Amino acid sequence: MALNGDEEDFEWEPPTEAEMKVIQARRERQDKISKLMGDYLLKGYKMLGDCCEVCGTVLLQDRQQKNYCVSCQELDSDIDKDNPALNPQAALSQVRERQLAAQVLAAAPELNGGPTSSLASVLVPQPRPEHCEGAAAGGRALLPPPAVASPPPPNTTLQPVLEEAEEAVLTKLRWATTQLQSSASLEASIQLCSLISSCANSLRSLRELSQ
Amino acid sequence: MVPLEQLHLNHVLQTVSALESVILRSFGPEGGQVLFTRDTGQVMLSRSGKRILTALHLDHPLARMVVRCVWKHSTITGDGSKTFVLLLASLLRIIHATASKETHMFQSHNSTKAAEAATARHLADKLLEFALTELDKFIVLNVLPHGFCVSLENFTAKTQHNLSFQTLLVSFFHTRLGYAYCDFFRNLFCELLSHWKVKDDQPSFSIHLLNNSFPALHTQVSGVPVSCSRLIEGQVIHRDFATPCPQVRKQPLKAAVFNGYLQPKLLTTGDVLELRCGDKVTEDRGIVHFSSWTERSVESIIATLQSFGVSVLLCALKQSTAVLAAATQAGMCLVECVSEEEISLFTQLSGVTPISDCRRIHPEHIATLTFCKPLLLGAHRCVHLDFHDCEERLKVKPCSLVICAPSEGQADQHACAFQDAFRMLLTALEPMHKTQKKTIPSEECTSLHADNISNEAACRVHLHQKCVIETGCVISAGGTFEFLLHHALHQYGHSCSVSVNTSAVSQLLAKALLSVPRQIYSHNLKHFLQAQTRVMALIPRQPNALSTNLIHTEGPLADGKLSLCSCNKGNMSLKLLDLGLESVSCKYQLVLAVLQCLTNLLRMNMLLRTHTILHTKSHNSLNAHSESSEDEDED
Repeated sequence: MALNGDEEDFEWEPPTEAEMKVIQARRERQDKISKLMGDYLLKGYKMLGDCCEVCGTVLLQDRQQKNYCVSCQELDSDIDKDNPALNPQAALSQVRERQLAAQVLAAAPELNGGPTSSLASVLVPQPRPEHCEGAAAGGRALLPPPAVASPPPPNTTLQPVLEEAEEAVLTKLRWATTQLQSSASLEASIQLCSLISSCANSLRSLRELSQ
Repeated sequence: MVPLEQLHLNHVLQTVSALESVILRSFGPEGGQVLFTRDTGQVMLSRSGKRILTALHLDHPLARMVVRCVWKHSTITGDGSKTFVLLLASLLRIIHATASKETHMFQSHNSTKAAEAATARHLADKLLEFALTELDKFIVLNVLPHGFCVSLENFTAKTQHNLSFQTLLVSFFHTRLGYAYCDFFRNLFCELLSHWKVKDDQPSFSIHLLNNSFPALHTQVSGVPVSCSRLIEGQVIHRDFATPCPQVRKQPLKAAVFNGYLQPKLLTTGDVLELRCGDKVTEDRGIVHFSSWTERSVESIIATLQSFGVSVLLCALKQSTAVLAAATQAGMCLVECVSEEEISLFTQLSGVTPISDCRRIHPEHIATLTFCKPLLLGAHRCVHLDFHDCEERLKVKPCSLVICAPSEGQADQHACAFQDAFRMLLTALEPMHKTQKKTIPSEECTSLHADNISNEAACRVHLHQKCVIETGCVISAGGTFEFLLHHALHQYGHSCSVSVNTSAVSQLLAKALLSVPRQIYSHNLKHFLQAQTRVMALIPRQPNALSTNLIHTEGPLADGKLSLCSCNKGNMSLKLLDLGLESVSCKYQLVLAVLQCLTNLLRMNMLLRTHTILHTKSHNSLNAHSESSEDEDED
């Protein structure tokens, strides 16, 4: 359905299946945002002329003059799901990627070696999602699930993931501490304290894992 | 917060989608009502898209612009504001999707977003151009043959035309006020129209009159059941008497209307009063003498009025206590602070002019009334009066509407529905095109009726049809208009005789039109498919069949217009009546208005922030409408 006759410069190709999924997900997210905004408008919120700096959605303002961004504060973020520190699935996929890379590297010298060492490299167990859950919970300030005891894994593939998770949890801990110092409301302080305690729990479980 | 902000297509789409989700749940025959409450306890109940959108708090300039367009459209057509937003949102979505695929056209732009915006603008301009030049042709050829005609010639009789007129009204009231009272209000509406119909004149004249003076013609009464709504003869003035009204009166009464103050207002801040006696400005005569002089002048005015036999005074402004005392002494009833609309209606019906200079009172300022008495409507006392020999003079039997409802919000809703019904009828009865100088090119005629012997006759009929687009054409509701137009545009887009650009544009519009019936049947996809199948079955397979249908027209009516009646006689037309009717002219105006709003929206690409609020008069008038009722209560 081209509007211009001459298209020598550009050939439009139909999107691949992965791109279609992304487009579909984005459209659904936009629909959800519109629906939520419509509900808030009917509740008496004011639609401002500004956009949120983080995600670009139009800001709403409630009766107490507080600005509210529907997508940041209610919906799960679009890009956070790719961040391994915050999403267990993303962490799992990153771990698998590194395993695959390690296997390829190990397989290359093994072509010259015997079959026994290749078996050893294949026996790397997958890290379980619960470990990643613990790390993600620390980042999202939810109640942490109990840390699960894990079989002693080899440190090669798990270590970088754990380090990243620890770093993310520490960042959140630092942020929560600064917020707590400047917080004025009771509810916010209580929530920040619970965030700090869940961060501490996550750090403890991460340290146990790395031992 | 940057002072200058680029507007992207995403922003526009997001804003309009938010507005769409606001009205979506009230859309369609099964849509719900929205209840707005204020902190003061005041309640507003509405299903009208215009009222819902204007009640929102919107600071975003794009959103405000869209709501303004909806408001303006609704003020003229009275209906279709939710469909407006729905169609606008779906057009924007399709244009957004198309623009992101085809940005190669404007590769000279710096970023993809700018290129997308330019493509979208280009598409919108092309759409508008297409709609302004060719859409009416599609409507006439493909939609009108499946419709009916309504006219106001004699709408109480039970002919086919009048059944359509009644059904049109019922479906309108059904969408606004729900199933329970639509028949009742239809009867009330027809009764009102029949009273106000100016004999031997165009019926639309009376609808214009009613539309313009509706605020003065109706009274809202809360706390009473809806079935108590009725018509009362004469005019009701929504003020009480300021002076006691003597019970016994000889008929007929004489009345006078005053625009200003009977006693000149004394000093306000900033006034300088110069008292002269002869040629010299003197200190001897003071303010006391001046005020006694003004009181004497009031007495002389009252004496003049008594000489004319006037016993009722209607004043637009609040009069001083001296005037009230003088009027009471003379036995005259005085009503003050009468609104402008009521005064203009009074002067129209009585044929007098208001008195602006109290020293010059002539017989043409004196009106004759049959009666003038207080009337208790709900919790308020009003003045009820009727005009002497109005029927002979103006050929109109004036009557006023009393709208009753259990609560104020509902009474307001009913009154708005009535007002919008007038506007809808006016738009429905308006011809779709004012100037018809086009002639159909011969090749088009031959392509339509290829093997037909009566080729010429069909072409001639076709030509007639184009030359005078008949008024008052209605079609069955439930998405029929959209299905038919979608099919026509789709076929046109696929036909080989059009350019690539036009084909793309017509397919775009066709796709967007389907969103309306899809939303009507959103709760059940099966109904959507059933409706689509039913409407598609109406479309004849052969173009020859269409031409034979065209030939089945009635002869010219008394006023010389060629009227095209429904081609699907018998059972099909009755079945279609069950779904309700909507006006084709309103729909056409809606599509054009949406495309114009779309073009304006996409032409904007920057937001400028100012430090002061630039609320123009127009914005204030939007809010004033909702707040004027508050002010009246405070009085």
